[in-house]
Amino acid sequence: MRCRERVGPVIRVEDVHLRFKAPVLKGVSLHIPEGCIYVLIGPGAAGKSVLLKCIAGLLRPQRGRIWVAGEEITALDDLQMMQLRKKIGMLFQNYALFDLSVGENIAFPLRRLFDLPQNEIEERVAERLERVALPGIQNRIPASLSGGQKKRVGVARATIAKAPVVLYDEPTAGLDPVTSQKIYNLIRDEQRAQKSTVVVISSDVAGALTIADRVGMLHRGELIFDGTVDEARTSKHPAVDQFVHGKTEGPL
Amino acid sequence: MSTALALPAKIGASLLQIAEQAGGIAIMAGQILRRLLPPKIDRIEFFRNMYRMGVQSTAIVAATAFFTGCIMVIQAAPIVQNFNANHYVGWSAMFTTFREIGPLLIALMFNGRVGANNTAELGTMVVTEQIDALRALAIDPVTYLVVPRVLSMIITMTALVILGDALAILGAIVMANVMLDMHPVGFVNHALEMLVLWDFLVGVIKAFFYGSMISLSSCYFGLATRGGAPGVGRAVNASVVASASGVFIADYISSFVLG
Amino acid sequence: MTTATETNAMPTKTDAEAEVRKPGAFQFYAEELSDLLRVTIRTFYYIVRGKREKGDVIRQCFEIGNKSMFFMAVTMAFIGAIVLFQMCMQAKRIIPDLTMIGGMYAKLLIRELAPSVGAMPFATRVGAGIAAEIGSMVVTEQTDALRMSGADPVDYLVVPRFVASVIMGTIVLVLGAGIAYGAGFVVGVTTFDINPNTFINFTSVKGGDVALGLIKCVCYGGIIALVSSQRGLRTFGGSEGVGIATTQAVVGSLFAVIVANFILSSVGHFVFPP
Repeated sequence: MRCRERVGPVIRVEDVHLRFKAPVLKGVSLHIPEGCIYVLIGPGAAGKSVLLKCIAGLLRPQRGRIWVAGEEITALDDLQMMQLRKKIGMLFQNYALFDLSVGENIAFPLRRLFDLPQNEIEERVAERLERVALPGIQNRIPASLSGGQKKRVGVARATIAKAPVVLYDEPTAGLDPVTSQKIYNLIRDEQRAQKSTVVVISSDVAGALTIADRVGMLHRGELIFDGTVDEARTSKHPAVDQFVHGKTEGPL
Repeated sequence: MSTALALPAKIGASLLQIAEQAGGIAIMAGQILRRLLPPKIDRIEFFRNMYRMGVQSTAIVAATAFFTGCIMVIQAAPIVQNFNANHYVGWSAMFTTFREIGPLLIALMFNGRVGANNTAELGTMVVTEQIDALRALAIDPVTYLVVPRVLSMIITMTALVILGDALAILGAIVMANVMLDMHPVGFVNHALEMLVLWDFLVGVIKAFFYGSMISLSSCYFGLATRGGAPGVGRAVNASVVASASGVFIADYISSFVLG
Repeated sequence: MTTATETNAMPTKTDAEAEVRKPGAFQFYAEELSDLLRVTIRTFYYIVRGKREKGDVIRQCFEIGNKSMFFMAVTMAFIGAIVLFQMCMQAKRIIPDLTMIGGMYAKLLIRELAPSVGAMPFATRVGAGIAAEIGSMVVTEQTDALRMSGADPVDYLVVPRFVASVIMGTIVLVLGAGIAYGAGFVVGVTTFDINPNTFINFTSVKGGDVALGLIKCVCYGGIIALVSSQRGLRTFGGSEGVGIATTQAVVGSLFAVIVANFILSSVGHFVFPP
């Protein structure tokens, strides 16, 4: 309900085509309203991660246009893109934590993107770690953490700059169901607190739908479904029906 | 540990590591020899590797050798001019290229191209558990993977040095013509007068030893890989460094013995 | 409607796929060279305008310089011994008098051997290290995370390695020249009974020789760092990709050194005549 299109979409993707050796995205169009948790589901190799990286400006589509937070990112060059990154936070599938201490990892975007005094950075890092329920581990190194802890550090890093758009690439891959649900709840609480717009990619449908406001499904590079959670649960589209309800028989 | 002992301890640790690696390589050489008596080689793998390693490196070796020939003339020119002995330049450039610089540079190139590639390939097979899968299928990794690679690396390395020698002569002829106005025929005639077959053979014999060195160490470090993608990077790094040191040491010894 | 567009799209699709499968060797190298050029320009841009991270250059200097010193000392000693040995063998055939060997050896060492031959093992050691490290960061998405944090990988990763490689490459090769000279001295005196005094006579070494040698060292250090960083940044795929990138980095930087040596030696022959 929060995300009826009152103010227009924050993320707008129009007819995006991208190919490496084979086509990956075949004309995807998508509107994501402000203040919404948008969950993008789909089987493996459907192009979910690639679409997310296009939205983050890490990959450039060969055709089509993308707007994020009022800027047409497909028209920006790399240096202008760096500036826009203040408005986008991202959690990576394999954590992508640097060989630095946990504290330095979380502070990194803040330090590179904004000019802030050292004590304020430290305060915000401590506040973030508290928020993800890992207080006081600033000096540990990522290699000594468990998978779930690394993901939470990743969440802290993605949200520290208070970006209006936050992207999560498979936030629960490889985690047990309890830890997964905790991560989902953390993502939702964060979104409510910051009033940000969130895109979550997941192949774990059941968990992801518990926090979703809207759902989209990608299949073989095309968006085959876009709607609310209830619409997704009752969809007549055979592929969506099969994927959402985890049936073994169907087109997938 | 006290700080006074820190440095000796570090030196000792790295010496132990070098000894461990040298021992590992020696054991692998033993395993290979045992499988060659009587020869037990996977023929398909052997020819596939010969083709891949040979064809892969031809262009880069040819280019390296050509530039080396050019550079040797640039370097030899002032020295022979110093002695007023212009016609010696062909011999001087060829002598050094055949006996020393040719095999050495081609070995370093081969080490980077084929040796590193080989380590990366075996390392990837280790981290993706393919080696364990081979063992589970009762296929001996040494017979199936190591022996064909080692043999074809030694053979291709030797062949590439012969090819490189030819290209180096070409480079030297071109450079002597451009820099010293020497006619190609005169250049070759003068060089042939003073060169003996042995000068050429020394390079070929060296190539054989370098090839063994690079192949053994690249297989050893590849199979010793641990720990995912970064592990493969580390293994390749360790392998090229160890092979390069091995090549220089072998070069020194063989220069004196064959001189 | 869908079938119509699909049949229309099919032929173009297969054409494009065929193109991807066989990217002519020329096209491939042209693309790689233009990417290398792009990385080079960016590196210089960020050296001037980039955001410095405290201690990064020092840490890279340690990685690139100190950690390769032992390896370089061993190889340079062997190079020095081998070259003097070969020079004496050659000189013996032309003139039996070996008194000028010392000066000639010093000149050759400074102009050519220490920088160019020394750069080969240096490129092997440093190039493989840089590409393996950056390549691992690419496949674990750390470079994407850097970009999301407003740190261009060229600024954060390549610039410190480039600066460190230029500084430490020069230092390591100059020290290596000293070691090679010492090794040559020992071989000359013990094997060929050359008078030790000829090795202390540096009159034939001119300022131009030293300048050419130093220019070579600086160029090679920079080239090695740029080529291997670019290879690392272009890593694609998992552990196999890291291996391929490392291989290409070693071969690419070795070959770049050889080509640069050819150019620098040719130009140096006229600008700093021996």
